[in-house]
Amino acid sequence: MAEPFTITEHTNLALATIMARKGVDPAAIEAALADTQLIPTGPGTWLAVSYCDPPPYPGEGRGPVPTPDLDPGLRRDTLKDLASVSDQSGGYIVYRFSGPAARTLLQRGAFIDLHPSVFGPGSSAVTVIAHIGVILWQADDDTSFDVALFRSFAGSFRHWVEASANAHDRHPDESRDPWDPQV
Amino acid sequence: MRIPCPFCGNRDTQEFVYRGDASPTRPDTDEAMHDYVYLRDNVAGPMREHWYHAQGCRNWIVVTRDTRTHEIISAEFPR
Amino acid sequence: MSRLPTGGLIDRTKPLAFSFDGKRYTGFAGDTLASALLANDIRLVARSFKYHRPRGILTAGSEEPNALVTIGRGAHAEPNTRATTLPLFDGLEASSQNRWPSLDHDLLSINGILSPLFVAGFYYKTFMWPAALWEKLYEPLIRRAAGLGALSMEPDPAEYDADHGFCDLLVVGAGPAGLAAALAAGRAGQRVLLVDEDVRPGGRLLAERHEIDGNSALDWVDATIAELASLPNVRILSRTILFGAYDGGTYGAVENGRRLWKIVARRAILATGAIERPLVFAGNDIPGVMTASAVQAYATRWGVAPGKRIAIFTTSDSGLKVAADLAAIGIEPVTVIDARDGMLVTRAIGGKALKAIELSDGRRIAVDTLAMAGGWNPSVGLGCNLGARPNWSEAIGAYLLDSPPGGMIMAGAAAGAFGLGAAIASGIEAAGGGMPVPATSEDPSGSRPLWHVPHSRGKAFVDYQHDVTDKDVALAAREGFTSVEHMKRYTTLGMATDQGKTGQVNGNALLAIATGKTMSEAGTILSRPPYLPVSIGVLAGHHRGEHFKPVRHTSGHAWALENGATFVDTGQWKRAQWFARPGERDWLETVSREVTATRTGVGICDVSTLGKIDVHGPDASTLLDRLYVNIFSTLPVGRARYGLMLREDGFVMDDGTTTRFAEDRFYVTTTTVNAARIMQHIDFARQVLWPELDVQATSVTEQWATYAIAGPRSRALLAKLLPDLDLSNEALPYMGAMEFHWQGVTARIFRLSFSGEMAFELAVPAHHGDRLIRALFEAGRVLGVAPYGTEALGVMRIEKGHPAGNELNGQTTATDLGMGRMLSRKKDFIGRVMAARPALVNPARPTLVGIHPVDPARRLRAGGHLLAKGAAPVAANDQGHVTSVCYSPTLGHWIGLALLANGPARHGERIIVHDPIRDGDTEVEVVNPVFVDPEGVRVRG
Repeated sequence: MAEPFTITEHTNLALATIMARKGVDPAAIEAALADTQLIPTGPGTWLAVSYCDPPPYPGEGRGPVPTPDLDPGLRRDTLKDLASVSDQSGGYIVYRFSGPAARTLLQRGAFIDLHPSVFGPGSSAVTVIAHIGVILWQADDDTSFDVALFRSFAGSFRHWVEASANAHDRHPDESRDPWDPQV
Repeated sequence: MRIPCPFCGNRDTQEFVYRGDASPTRPDTDEAMHDYVYLRDNVAGPMREHWYHAQGCRNWIVVTRDTRTHEIISAEFPR
Repeated sequence: MSRLPTGGLIDRTKPLAFSFDGKRYTGFAGDTLASALLANDIRLVARSFKYHRPRGILTAGSEEPNALVTIGRGAHAEPNTRATTLPLFDGLEASSQNRWPSLDHDLLSINGILSPLFVAGFYYKTFMWPAALWEKLYEPLIRRAAGLGALSMEPDPAEYDADHGFCDLLVVGAGPAGLAAALAAGRAGQRVLLVDEDVRPGGRLLAERHEIDGNSALDWVDATIAELASLPNVRILSRTILFGAYDGGTYGAVENGRRLWKIVARRAILATGAIERPLVFAGNDIPGVMTASAVQAYATRWGVAPGKRIAIFTTSDSGLKVAADLAAIGIEPVTVIDARDGMLVTRAIGGKALKAIELSDGRRIAVDTLAMAGGWNPSVGLGCNLGARPNWSEAIGAYLLDSPPGGMIMAGAAAGAFGLGAAIASGIEAAGGGMPVPATSEDPSGSRPLWHVPHSRGKAFVDYQHDVTDKDVALAAREGFTSVEHMKRYTTLGMATDQGKTGQVNGNALLAIATGKTMSEAGTILSRPPYLPVSIGVLAGHHRGEHFKPVRHTSGHAWALENGATFVDTGQWKRAQWFARPGERDWLETVSREVTATRTGVGICDVSTLGKIDVHGPDASTLLDRLYVNIFSTLPVGRARYGLMLREDGFVMDDGTTTRFAEDRFYVTTTTVNAARIMQHIDFARQVLWPELDVQATSVTEQWATYAIAGPRSRALLAKLLPDLDLSNEALPYMGAMEFHWQGVTARIFRLSFSGEMAFELAVPAHHGDRLIRALFEAGRVLGVAPYGTEALGVMRIEKGHPAGNELNGQTTATDLGMGRMLSRKKDFIGRVMAARPALVNPARPTLVGIHPVDPARRLRAGGHLLAKGAAPVAANDQGHVTSVCYSPTLGHWIGLALLANGPARHGERIIVHDPIRDGDTEVEVVNPVFVDPEGVRVRG
């Protein structure tokens, strides 16, 4: 693309699906998980995103695990009687798209309006890109987005990224690989 | 076609799975089960339909849609 | 050369080389292929579809019916490209179509002599006998003799992509009305998307001489574009065809032939202009006969004089304007024939080029170009995509869309505002006003339609591209095809790639005359998308070949690849089918080895693809009781149970094992291919059927990487991997489950067996799945562990008589599968009532049995139908069919599962598997479907 953007894979996230139990006020759940980012994915449903420090897993591929996962039992205890919790730390792969062209690129894939006037910091959406279900949200700054998708689709999703990133600037002498993973 | 999901807002139909007429309710009696499973009105006009927002909030919604014009009159969560 | 010495919106400093039918020519940047051909005096560009008549360029726009060429070579060849809208580029190679051996001498023009036979609908009346020859001889001959371009038949090498647009206002067409509308809305702060099919905005202002605010109209165009480009809320897409309007304010467009746009607009203004009508008289298709607006465009926009001696035949003021514009640049028309004064052209004369015209007063005038100004048809097609019908307006002599669908409004010539000032005003008003209407030069737009020139002898064309003449329309009417819809299909008028843009209205009018109706009574057809041809490739985008749909890989995929797996598609997943070793002859040998290794030692299979759903909450067990045929509320914590789910009509929907990890936490599994369907079903049950229940459910298919470890040595392997875990029968009995930690990671172990051997399933969060599979194989190395794939998995489950996808085919009941006793009598569940219908519990139904060939050397194949010995192979004797087969290395012969009428009562009987397509008939014995370890001893180890 003419303007730069980067994609990196988050490798230090603990994720869970939180679903409010009947009659529970969502505010109670948000209060109980005050230190966790909660992405709304439906009425009374969230994807909980926590950053682990240090990273529990170094990324795709092999390697030893230096520290334990965030214990889903802990979260379950915190939300006892308020919500059901399902660990999804293995289920989703989460990519961060950054740079001035990140929004433009994502717009090519998503059939929802990502214009800054309607999709800004704090905005999130569950939708589909290239036939792959995604949860996407804008990070705090203006030019970064996080996209979560089921892990098995990673290869196909990267293929969409490459095809779309290269779409507007096909120059035979420029073989830019937009997939530039950083640890 | 776009469906106004009560949680997600207007979304393209590709995000949804269509089930059918939302009017029949699962009966309490065995005798009424056959009609519940098999009999449907073929409505020309506004009809209440079940759609599942499979690629969105994963909720079933009841959409009132005019089958002649495809105009969507309302979309709400089942009560 | 017909290039004028000056003028035109071309860059004479940038010459471009191109070829047509192998000969080289030069044009300029800004030319289209059509303008460059005309500049080089090439007037013969095609042969017509049916009669192979010589054809020239008729128009200057995308409505062009004649000048279709193939550009490029080999895999890059694109047939049926309109020369009139193709921007000339350096190195362009174009060739004419549908002629042999050459454009100039086309032997197939013999069709012209046989034309009385080839009238509309001829193929319904001729070539019908003998019937056998239709498919073998006549049809292929007809196809070869008629046609347009040819496909390369090679894969499309072009790359396509997509984008999405959202706006408050979509303006279709960047002519005067569209530009004005976009500017008014843009200045008012709306998000505007302006879409135009031409290479540059301006529409007809690029081809006609007008003044706006005292200056050349082109200055106004440039200033407007500059201001629009400066507005951050306005985006212009040129070279973009808005091809269809869909429900909900959704529109489809293709940019530059390569990018698919899906656009959602709150409102749309269709400023799509109008298309000029040809006039219908003998010889109106001879090269040199063109629309008047085309003559004007070639002269004004491209600096090309279409001919040396130009006559104008008009029914409109616009035809007179063409004469004036030509005169202004030094081209004096030879004569102007205004039908409104009573003078008509009755015949055009010429073969490959126009030589002369005959008039109604008997005069013959030598001309090489005839400009037809037959009136204007507003382009309302897009507004009709959703079913709105245009109505005939007697006042302007054209169809108007007076009731467009909500959210759409017509503007400019598309709304019948033909004059320039009216068009601009109409655009501004459609956009909500707020901008003054500029002063414009006079642009009279009076006209009086002339549908048919009487006493015109010879072929008068209505649809040029499909070679439909005025006589064909009359024939259709005589034969009873009196509606416009029937006339269209019977004559094929309007069915070519130009979709009747220059012919439909003329055809409707001739039909109305022939049937004695008014234009209002006759009506018109509805346009449907796409407005112009759209390649299949652009609709596919990057979803081609192996990327047609997403591919899903398990976390064990990399390991499987390294270990020589052959993969199979299961839904979207790639699953390891088998792991061939060097020296193995074929898959059968490999699969048999894997089965034997598992049944005698230990094997490992990646079963991560099965659907997995967390069903949690105080009422989780209540919900599961209502979904499964058997009871789950009694399932103890730490135990798994096999369950069957029915559809409400009583047929089996899916099966799987469900494990209880806590009072309020269940872990439901499904088959791989039904994972999404069951998730939907569970959500329907808890959100719609029983919303009063406090139960939550979410898919965790991707969260857990799961491996089956099966065989007599499976426990030993796991003891090595998990030395601290008590795997004894007491701690982990058959169908038990527990959670534990493995190297700091949450893990789960289940004692489940699909193979019938002592077996476990081990699950970890998927991002540790790769690590686990490697650790498993490391631990199992000294035990001779072997990976096994879906084929070996399939062999073992058939040996154990487990129903799977082939048996769970949507047409079988629990009783059919031998699971009737699982249906609880103590509770209601989905499908309970309908499953009890007499016809569904009739033992005469095809019911699960095992079969094996009487001759152990015979192979079995699935799909064959079952007959009693000696019964004739007719439907009335059909007793069922074979659902699954495999070679059983455990037993040393082929075995199968089948659904046989009254099956369980017929063990020991010999029947016939009837397979006329493949191996013929095979005699088999009916047996218990559990071939191996029928007592189920091995799993309980």
